[in-house]
Formats: sequence, structure tokens, C-alpha cells
Amino acid sequence: MADAAVHAHDDHEHQGFFTRWFCSTNHKDIGVLYILTSFVVGTLSVAITMYMRLELMEPGVQHMVFEDGSPNGHMWNVLVTGHGITMMFFVVIPALFGGFGNYFMPLQIGAPDMAFPRMNNLSYWLYVAGASLAVLSMVSPGGNGQLGSGVGWVLYAPLSTHEMGMSMDFAIFAVHLSGASSILGAVNMITTFLNMRAPGMTLLRVPLFPWSIFCTAWMILLSLPVLAGAITMLLTDRNFGTAFFDPAHGGDPVLYQHILWFFGHPEVYMIVVPAFGVVSHVISTFSKKPIFGYTGMVFAMAGISALGFVVWAHHMYTVGMSTNAQAYFMLATMIIAVPTGIKIFSWIATMWGGSIEFKTPMLFAMGFLFLFTVGGVTGIVLSQAGINRAYHDTYYVVAHFHYVMSLGAVFGIFAAIYYWIGKMSGREYPEVLGKVHFWMMFIGANITFFPQHFLGRQGMPRRYIDYPEAFAYWNHISSFGAFLSGASYVLFIGIMVYTLRAGKKVTEPNYWHDGLGTLEWTLPNPPPAHTFEVLPTREMWDKQPAHH
Amino acid sequence: MSDSAAGGHPPAVAAPEDRAAWRDRQDRPLYSAVLWPNRSLGRGGRRFVLRATAAGLALPLLAVAATPVVWGLLPFAAAALGMLWYAFRRNQLDGRLTEEVAIWPDEMRVERRDPDGRVRRWVADPFRVRVALHAGARVEQYMTLRGGSREIELGAFLSPEERVALAGELEAALTRAVQAG
Repeated sequence: MADAAVHAHDDHEHQGFFTRWFCSTNHKDIGVLYILTSFVVGTLSVAITMYMRLELMEPGVQHMVFEDGSPNGHMWNVLVTGHGITMMFFVVIPALFGGFGNYFMPLQIGAPDMAFPRMNNLSYWLYVAGASLAVLSMVSPGGNGQLGSGVGWVLYAPLSTHEMGMSMDFAIFAVHLSGASSILGAVNMITTFLNMRAPGMTLLRVPLFPWSIFCTAWMILLSLPVLAGAITMLLTDRNFGTAFFDPAHGGDPVLYQHILWFFGHPEVYMIVVPAFGVVSHVISTFSKKPIFGYTGMVFAMAGISALGFVVWAHHMYTVGMSTNAQAYFMLATMIIAVPTGIKIFSWIATMWGGSIEFKTPMLFAMGFLFLFTVGGVTGIVLSQAGINRAYHDTYYVVAHFHYVMSLGAVFGIFAAIYYWIGKMSGREYPEVLGKVHFWMMFIGANITFFPQHFLGRQGMPRRYIDYPEAFAYWNHISSFGAFLSGASYVLFIGIMVYTLRAGKKVTEPNYWHDGLGTLEWTLPNPPPAHTFEVLPTREMWDKQPAHH
Repeated sequence: MSDSAAGGHPPAVAAPEDRAAWRDRQDRPLYSAVLWPNRSLGRGGRRFVLRATAAGLALPLLAVAATPVVWGLLPFAAAALGMLWYAFRRNQLDGRLTEEVAIWPDEMRVERRDPDGRVRRWVADPFRVRVALHAGARVEQYMTLRGGSREIELGAFLSPEERVALAGELEAALTRAVQAG
């Protein structure tokens, strides 16, 4: 029998710095750690892109050169690979899924913590170890007698099986650790979501952000084991003389591509689906209306996640598939436009007739809407197997996926930061500077990537350090856009430092307005270490008539 | 305790016939209730989720079934499925905490089974039992029972409303017990 403990006190309030941040099992602290770590890795990755755009600003090779002035193509390849691996595995997913997912998913479903708090800690530290290995791989002995491996984030065989040095193995281990971290995280999220919802919160009453995290967790759970298997086979091909993918020994490199993209396409959705969840809340909040078509939104998200598993070969139309296979992948890909359309139109319908307030999070959410739609439309163009012949491996593809991910998902991250920073830190960000950040980034990112469509149409191939004079004009403009975006990122860092150190205190729990229906708005800013030890009641969260 | 007892659907408070009758008493109690923490996924749901996961993980395996690559993928797919199964099971076990309350005219008994299998029992005379709800405690409407060998908590994992309702039921049952006794 538990003896009565009316005057129980909270031991966790007196934790030391090391215990709190290094041994944390608290979902909110782990969420913050994820966000901070992905910010550090993201800053490195953004710095890489600035250097790359500087190199691409003029035709010829000016900066990435050996001492004798000859171009250092390997370095370029290493930076392309490093940027891809860090952004795909160690920045966007950890920020949205690991960071905001950890922090707000349990709060929004009324759970006291994640189902497995210690496993949550393990997931985080595996992620840190993986990110460290990814960075280490860029500066350890690799191919061409230089540092780092330059095989692209997809690690295609036989390039990856033949790349010299330990750098390649580090990169593979980095992805392994990231995968292990993500799978543990996904199991935790799924168990929490399914088992620990507040009483009465049936599946179709759960807010959209937890739903987006749930869908993402499924994609991770079903696809990352496949990637883990594939790269383990790469590792054995490299080190133990097996021949799964190396054609020189009877392996099948196209099979590697199939397996990689079976993971790779859901990966794209893992990046963007949590942003769907964030944007839904932001748009609903700043339109002062419940989200339009809640049920449709849930099924659209689940549909996008499921369809993501059956379209992978649209990344590899040019490897020599049968016409029937290409026709199938083309049609299946185009079908994704249907649930995506449901989401876009539901967001627009949410804003329709609403009392819209253009605060910074709303600007980022609307920016997301516009940019993601542009990226989605060029995706439909690329899904055509015939047209894809012309665009494959050109800058059109670079423009497309940056519109979806770099602009779409990253705008989602910024929307989430500005939306919840008051809740997480108890301090208000400077609104005017937030808006300046948005406009700099929105204009900068468009100037960077929109001209890349033109370059792709002109036939400029991707992954090259140099280009002929004919492509100079748009490359020059694109680089200016990149520098503007880079400057906006520096401003963002300044805004965050100011907010956390000197921002105005926010005391109102629901600081945007009273009509907010999710549970995090019932808590103080920042929420105490322990929340919802007593289950929340239905009146606390069931405020939206759309949740029926 | 079967799986479906602790960890079933809401309501978290149930009062099935005779559940709380301790093995040594044959007479039916005037009042009995089993309390367990909220779990939003039932047993059937868990089975469905695991089957769907197995099917999803099998998809890429079928695609490479005739190649040696299947042996590279299989361990990871199996590990992912195993991990999810274990997580559900573990979470279920963590939540397998029950408190059984039974009131007879001459005796009130509470039996608590912790997730680790520990069983603790408390016995009191209904005439002496006092049900108290503490408004200022860290757990809202924290409920305690006084009157036995020591003061105990009851239903700390329930929602405040459920505790208030339970306290009302207990007080009514105790009154009946005292009158019958």
C-alpha cells in the first residue's frame, strides 16, 4: 500500500546542471536538447552552403583549390555529402520530430511524460554520437588521399564501396546511429501516443501535431530498418569482402538504389509531415478558427505517409526500369497530390473568413504554404517519367527538393520556434525583428532557389564544382539569395539570444489568445518539470467543435 | 491479474461483481471496486498495431525475397518489430497497477498490486474509516483513507473528478456498512 504523501515535494526541482541536462529523462528537457543540438549541426551545415554558393557565384573555381590553384573537386563532393547527411539526418528530423515532438506531443495528449523516459535519453545521446561521427567523417582520412568522403548523402554503391579511408565508414556508422536513435524514438512516440492519451481523447480527437508526430514515427519504424540493413551490407561489402552491391563482384548496385529510396522517399515525408502539424496549429491560432476539415487532415497525413512507401522508384527512372514499372511509379506519385491538396485547401479554408493576425509564426506558416506548394508542383512535373529524363540530376531537382525541404520544412521549424518560444522559455521574442527575419529569409530563399529552376531547364547538372559561362547569370543571383538567407540566419541567432536573455516575460499561459484548444496552453510558461501527473479533464482540451 | 484488467479502456474505475472479494471471505461485500491507471490503447488495438507493423515491415522483404539481400534486411526488420512488441508489453506492465477496494459490514479491505508484483494490503473497521480529499496537495483532490494501521492513499492515478466520485461512493458504502453492522 502506498502510504499517504500529502506533502510530497518535487525532488526534480533541485537537480544540478549535469544531472538535469546530461542524465535527463524529462521529455521537455530532452526536447530542448534536441533543438539545441540540431541548431549547432544546422549552423555548421548552413555555413557549408554559404561556402558552396560562394564557389558557385562565378564560373571557374576560385576558392576550393589546391595550393597550385587547380580545382579541389573532392572537397566540393565532401561538402555536398556533408551538407546532405547533416541536414537529412541530424538537423531537420531531430529538430521537428525529436525536439518539438518530444516537448509538445506528450503535453498535447495530456501524458505526464514519454512512455519510456530513459529510452528517450538514450535516443538523444545516440543522436549526438551519430552527429559527431557525421562531422568527424568530414575531417577524417577519406577518398583521393584527402579528408572526407564525397559520395553524396545517398551513399550509392559502388562509389561508396570503393571510397577509400575510414571517413566512409564513419559516415555509415553515423547513419546507423541516427537510425538506431530514430527507431528508439519512434517506438517511444508510438507507445506514448497510443497508450497514454488523456481519458476521452479518442484517436480522432487528438490534435494535429501529435498526429503528425505519430505518422512520422510510423514512417521511421517501417523504413529505417531497411536503411540500416542496406548500409550494413555496404559496410560488409567494404570491409568483409561480401558482394551485395558491388557489380565488380556480382553485386547489384541498382538494388541498393531501390532499397535506399524505399527508405529515402518516406524520409522526405518524415522531414515535412511534422511541419504539417505545426503549421495546422499556427494557422488555426492566428486565424482564430478551429482547423477546417480536421478528419480529412488526419487521413490526408496518414495517406501521405502510406503513399510515401510505394513511390520510391520515381527517384531512379533513368536506371533502366520497364515501362510498366515507370508508369506505375508515375501514377502512384501523382496520387500523392490528392491528400496534399486536401491539406493545402484545408489550411486555406481555415484562414477563409478568419480574423487573421500576421504575427511572425503565421508569416512563416504562410511562407511554408506557398513554398511547399511550389515545391509540390515541381514534384508533379518531376514525377513524369518522360520529363524526368530531361530534368534528372539537374538543378531543377535541386530547386524542387529545396523548396519542399529547405524552405518548406525549415519554415515549419521557424514557425514552431516563434509559436512556442514563449511557452518554452517564458519570454517573448521581439515581434518586429521576427518579421524582419521572415522577410529576409523568404526573399533570400526564393532568390536562391527559384533561379535554379531556370538553370535546371538550361541543363546545368547538379553536384558540379564548376559550370560554363552560359549558366553564370542565374548562379550569380542565386548566390546573392543564399547570402541574404545566411544573413537572416545570423539575425535569427541574435533574436534567440535576445529573447532568452532579455525578452519580455510572458506570464499568460495562453499568450496568443483564449480560444486555444490544446493542452500546452493550460500550463505556465515555461511548464514545470512535471506536468499532467494528474490526468487532464476533457473540458481542458475539447474546445474545438471540429474535433467531433 | 489478466492483461485486460489493468490497462483496459476508460473508465478507469470499474466495479465488477466479486472482483474484490479476498480469497478467504465467502460473503459478498456491500461494495467493491477495482481501480487502474488510464491506458488509451486496448488489447485488441495493440494486436492490430503489431500485425499492421509486421505487414509493413514485410513489404520490402518480399520485394527482395529471392536475393541474398533479404538476409541483410531481415534482422533489422525483426528487431524493429520486436522492439515495438516489447515496448507495448513493458508499457502495459508498467501500468499494471491495481487497487481493489471491498467493504463489508465489519471490515474494509484495500489491496494494492504494484507493477513489480508487490502486493500490499490494508484492513480497517468501517466504523473508524475516514475518507479525506486534500485540496491543497500536489495531486489535486488527493484522497487518503484513515482508520487502519496507517493512513493510505487511494486512486492517486485517477483524475480528480474520478477521485471525488469515488470518495462519494466510498462514503455512501461506509455509511451502509456501519448501518448494517
